[in-house]
Amino acid sequence: MHILLIEDDDRVADYVAKGLREAGHSVDRSGDGREGLIQASTETYDAIVLDRMLPSVDGMKILHTIRATGDMTPVLILSALGDADERVKGLRAGSDDYLAKPFSIAELVARVEILGRRGPAPVEPTTYRVGDLEIDRLGHMVRRGGRKVELTAREFRILEYLARNAGRVVTRSMLLEAVWDYHFDPQTNVVDQHVSKLRQKIDRDHDRPLIHTVRGTGYVLRAD
Amino acid sequence: MRILQSLSFRLALIYVALFGLSVAALLAFYFWISVRAPLEAVQTRVQGEADAYARVYILDGADALVRGLEARAVRLDDRMPFHAFLDPEGRVLSSNLPSWPAYAGRRWLWLEADIYADGDETDHEAIVLDRRFDDGARLLIGRDVEDIDDLREQLVAAAWWMLAGTMLLGVVGGALMSRAIGRRIETINRAARTVIAGDLSGRVVTRGSGDDFDRLGETLNLMLARIEELVESVRRVSDSVAHELRTPLMRMLVGLEELAEEKDEDRRRQLAEEAIEEARRLHRLFDALLRIARIESGRHRARTEPVALDRLVADAVEFHQPEADARGRRLHLGTVDAGTVSGDPDLLFQAVSNLIDNAVKYTPSGGEIIVSVEGEGQQIRLSVCDDGIGIPAAERSRVTQRFFRGEGTSGIPGAGLGLSLTSAVAALHQARLEFPDRDRGTRADMIFPRQTGLAS
Repeated sequence: MHILLIEDDDRVADYVAKGLREAGHSVDRSGDGREGLIQASTETYDAIVLDRMLPSVDGMKILHTIRATGDMTPVLILSALGDADERVKGLRAGSDDYLAKPFSIAELVARVEILGRRGPAPVEPTTYRVGDLEIDRLGHMVRRGGRKVELTAREFRILEYLARNAGRVVTRSMLLEAVWDYHFDPQTNVVDQHVSKLRQKIDRDHDRPLIHTVRGTGYVLRAD
Repeated sequence: MRILQSLSFRLALIYVALFGLSVAALLAFYFWISVRAPLEAVQTRVQGEADAYARVYILDGADALVRGLEARAVRLDDRMPFHAFLDPEGRVLSSNLPSWPAYAGRRWLWLEADIYADGDETDHEAIVLDRRFDDGARLLIGRDVEDIDDLREQLVAAAWWMLAGTMLLGVVGGALMSRAIGRRIETINRAARTVIAGDLSGRVVTRGSGDDFDRLGETLNLMLARIEELVESVRRVSDSVAHELRTPLMRMLVGLEELAEEKDEDRRRQLAEEAIEEARRLHRLFDALLRIARIESGRHRARTEPVALDRLVADAVEFHQPEADARGRRLHLGTVDAGTVSGDPDLLFQAVSNLIDNAVKYTPSGGEIIVSVEGEGQQIRLSVCDDGIGIPAAERSRVTQRFFRGEGTSGIPGAGLGLSLTSAVAALHQARLEFPDRDRGTRADMIFPRQTGLAS
């Protein structure tokens, strides 16, 4: 993916750029709001990582300007303001995701990859297939190797989200945001327990597991 | 002058001026009633007499007039009559007045008149109308107004004294009052200056008389006590924050120092990961602290929407179910009445989630956790009950303090912030967080008033 990073703090920018490059993406960097805005409007990117507070032009203003020209490139905002209402403000202004500093690079890479994949107009298929796993979104039915797997509504939503992003890492906080209707901060790794229950139902009695744990980051649904 | 700047003194001066004016008006009215009006009555009477005698002179001649005047002079009725009649050559034809001034146009004169009674001579004041006929004869007709004149003199003298006295008493009284009030205000000033200087224990000294200033002082003292309490709690919190952050910082520092020295690659990675985990924990701690502070100070711009508590607890139980199952706790819903409050669903979910999380943590394996919502008249009670280690009665009032961790909780992970957050969320929703007495285990109640808005 071709990614534009607009971040004025060199240290953070190095860290983010390095992480994204290591994940196999090309990164253009800009340390200034005005310059970044020009770059965003002259070149086409798969995703933009935008710091909220920048010299010369504020991040939110850049976002407004980009969206005002009809450019729907996915934008992820980085911000030191991590509170829930700041996040809501960012999302309302047209960003596709919002990540509070400090963040881990794995979390950022996972989120950017999912943003970039989404593209301009996501068309979701009615059935996902990962290996011998088949998920019928309309019928709320899951089969593995032709055998029906009984899932709770929540487990189904977790699996659906993993399948939609099959092959890509999904972090715990991404799961929490996507699958539960509340934005909150669980005290313990309750999400892991949900995934582990799901995994039992999907991968038990099968030699090749489909749900893999990415250490320290999250999960990935993969058939390899 | 300082006293002129004093509001109470200036008010007293204005009061004195107003009071002086009303005294003057009262005096003027009394003067009119008892001096002006009777005098005018006498003048009208004298005018009538003068007109009558003038007709006598014109119609019947000087002799007839003199006879009439002499007859009038001896009629000593209520007011002594006086007259003087001079022929055109200036000769006095009849008179009982000692003297009179030269003619200076027709007008009223005040003349000294003497009255002889029992051989004594008394001076009287008379009001006299002086007129001259076309042929040059002159007639002065008057009556005694000594009583009215005396009253007038007395009144004028009294008026000056009264006005002067009023002013003097007013100014002196005003100054005294201003000083008394100033002294009371100064006690308030003194307390305020003490507080400004940094000593929050400064209080207004009250007299115990229960007067206005005492009541003001008591109100201010209550306010100061509240401020002192708040500042004290802020100080306590920042102290404990600093203290609590030391431990993870210390662990991180130790780990990083060891990392700098370590040669073994695997051990290095392990140390680095531990340091990262420590940093993450610190980050979470900061986030939680900031969040509590924002909610408590009302800076959290909470969403407000109807939240069905029955659905919320069902979601929360469902969320924690796998964790509880994995740890061998029986977590389930109890009575769930329908109940809707107005509030922020994310915050409420977080609050309930923290309560369930605590219950799971502080209940031994095999324990039971029941979450319920019960409508009770004007309130809705959301409860999380467990049969775990419970909270000792002595600790109950402190469990919502930041970083407070009860006896016997060491070894169970936690930072002591969960209940602080729940308590802050409850307060934001005008709910009470209570821990009623129980034989065993803990019962946490969030008691919401029915249908209320957010405190904003």
